[in-house]
Amino acid sequence: MIEFHRVTKTYNGAKALDEVSFAVPPGTVTGFLGPNGAGKSTAMRILAGLCRPTSGSATVLGRPYAELERPGYDVGTLLDAGAQHPGRSGREVLTLGAMMLGLPRSRVDEVLELVGLTGKEGRRAVGGYSLGMRQRLGIGHALLGQPRALVLDEPANGLDPQGIQWMRGLLRGLAGSGCAVLLSSHLLYEVEQVADRLVMIGGGRVLAQGTLAELGRGRSLEQTFLELTSHTDRSPA
Amino acid sequence: MTTERRIPFSTLLRVETRKLLDTRTSMIMTGILAAVALALVAGRGLFAGPADLNTLANTAGIAMGVLLPVLGILTVTGEWSHRTALTTFTLEPRRGRVLAAKCLPVLGAAVLACLAALLVAVPMTAVSAAVRGVEATWGLDPARLLGWTAVAVLSTAEGLAMGMLLLNAPAAIVIYLVRPMLWGFVTQLGPVGGTLAEWLDLNTASNALMDGNMGGGDAVRLAASVAVWVVIPMAVGVLRVLRRDVQ
Repeated sequence: MIEFHRVTKTYNGAKALDEVSFAVPPGTVTGFLGPNGAGKSTAMRILAGLCRPTSGSATVLGRPYAELERPGYDVGTLLDAGAQHPGRSGREVLTLGAMMLGLPRSRVDEVLELVGLTGKEGRRAVGGYSLGMRQRLGIGHALLGQPRALVLDEPANGLDPQGIQWMRGLLRGLAGSGCAVLLSSHLLYEVEQVADRLVMIGGGRVLAQGTLAELGRGRSLEQTFLELTSHTDRSPA
Repeated sequence: MTTERRIPFSTLLRVETRKLLDTRTSMIMTGILAAVALALVAGRGLFAGPADLNTLANTAGIAMGVLLPVLGILTVTGEWSHRTALTTFTLEPRRGRVLAAKCLPVLGAAVLACLAALLVAVPMTAVSAAVRGVEATWGLDPARLLGWTAVAVLSTAEGLAMGMLLLNAPAAIVIYLVRPMLWGFVTQLGPVGGTLAEWLDLNTASNALMDGNMGGGDAVRLAASVAVWVVIPMAVGVLRVLRRDVQ
């Protein structure tokens, strides 16, 4: 269970997040949808204890992130697939994570296989990875500790169609086993395919939330999304 | 739950030590460190003499004294330049523990490097004596040995402090390397400049320690420059890392 309680974040007087509240129930995939710069990444970083909210709080399994003893067992995070040391091998990235969680090295091999990276690819430096491979590695890193919640920021970026399909299956499976999955994207059709619930955000505020059926009532989700986010539109009037 | 579930500090130490050696860049860095130290000792032993264990070990220490602080800077800034802080601090949100686990292995490496310098100096002393046809001097002054080990640790700590303060490797390295030149300039400004350097330049202030004969006045001056270049920047740097929004 992931919860945001009236989270506000101000940067130099500008509100990046404004009283954001929503929850990700266990056993669901919740899509976190909004245009670029809407505040999705900021919200996820606050949840992971990397940024301080100006006010409000975010909790995982009922506790603020900073109070989790070994967060890697409670919540897996992929916040930026590009944020890797280019000289480190994929296997080494996972090994460091496994060491921190006190997991056996065999878990590294399991995870590599789970995310579809071959042994040879695992031994290569991450600097030579495509974005899609980095996403797979990042998802694998998030899954090391078999956490009960998962927070993924734009995980589908750079994945090829097979990769996107693979990820959908993986996330549905995890939700099916009770995991609470929060997945951000700026692409509606991507989220539509996998999510049970949607939280639409724009200009730092939650614009709408609910199940896909609730939000799409009577018209297409795309229309709803475009209407709701029209005030953050960058095109000339 | 209790603190038992937390990542043991020994694990963090193992992880951060491993990060010192798990990329090509860090392997090259370690290789250069060893090679430069070796070359300096060999050069001095073969061409300049004397065949004196103390002097040769000290020479190796000079190379370490320049390169170890750079290693320190790269270690504490690396998570920010490669943005891996994003994953490291999500696995251990208590950032202070991660910082401590980063600093200790580098400081340990400074001590090990001094021991290694001594090990290199032993055969070189014998070689130098043979090549130059002079008697080798095997006497080791424990005070000097401890002194320059302490100086190596101090300058490494200075590198760590600079790195944490600036969180930017190029800036910290430039300041670290340019600083002796600036102090050289200040010293030439007359008696006031000289006094300033005695109290505030870590290199000048640690000369007595390096030679292994510290007086009371030396200790006070050393403490002042350590406060300015190690303690204060490290304290500010740690606060900065603890409070910073990781982007």
